Amino acid sequence: MTPAPGDPVDQGAADPPRLDPGLARERTSLAWTRTALSFAAVGGVTLEKDVIAGLVIMCLAPAVWQLGRLTHHLPGRLQLITATIVAVALVALIVAATH
Amino acid sequence: MLPVGNSAMPRRGQRLVGAIFAATVEAPVPDSPPAGSGGDGTEPDPRFTFANERTFLAWSRTALALVVAGLGVVQLLPPFPGVPWGRHILGVPLIVFGAVVALAAYREWVRNQRAMRLGLPLSRSRMPLLLAMVVAVMAVISAVVVLVSALR
Repeated sequence: MTPAPGDPVDQGAADPPRLDPGLARERTSLAWTRTALSFAAVGGVTLEKDVIAGLVIMCLAPAVWQLGRLTHHLPGRLQLITATIVAVALVALIVAATH
Repeated sequence: MLPVGNSAMPRRGQRLVGAIFAATVEAPVPDSPPAGSGGDGTEPDPRFTFANERTFLAWSRTALALVVAGLGVVQLLPPFPGVPWGRHILGVPLIVFGAVVALAAYREWVRNQRAMRLGLPLSRSRMPLLLAMVVAVMAVISAVVVLVSALR
């Protein structure tokens, strides 16, 4: 019988019981997809005035989506996302100031 | 041992991004706690870890939305008659606040992950209040700019 989401999964006596993440992984994967789409939207808006910066930001979208496929034991990817958003904000400031 | 990676991941997508990402997808789970996740303590329930990650991502999208909003105000709005600096005074703070939200979101994620690892209660986030205040202040400034523009 398939355990319901959230039920303890039997790992035998040797390992401690762990909880089945259920659909949490899928929800998180969808959240990464939405975040990647947000990057594409930022790139699209930037494209209006600065083609190169807009294309660069748009190219970040598939990279961000791929980051979401990595194991959650690599928290450096969240640092990377944070640094990327700060960099995008700096680019946006430059575009806003120069156009 | 917790489940790692996603076995149903499309291999074609990995090739698109490159060898670096493809190599890390199958990376083994480290025995030591990952950097930035709170150090010592025990690995929390994966559902809570995923939920914490989704919260971080939601704030990241909010940060990106603020950046887009600021950029849109500066680039897409027509100039306010009589207030030449109007678009910049509205757009630039939004972009800067977007960067602040992104940094704060990461700090919150680290703090929550640490609390979960150590079995401590989660601290209350001040980010919703901060966001609400900034949005309200920006709305007031917008109203002032529009009024000044209309009066000139």
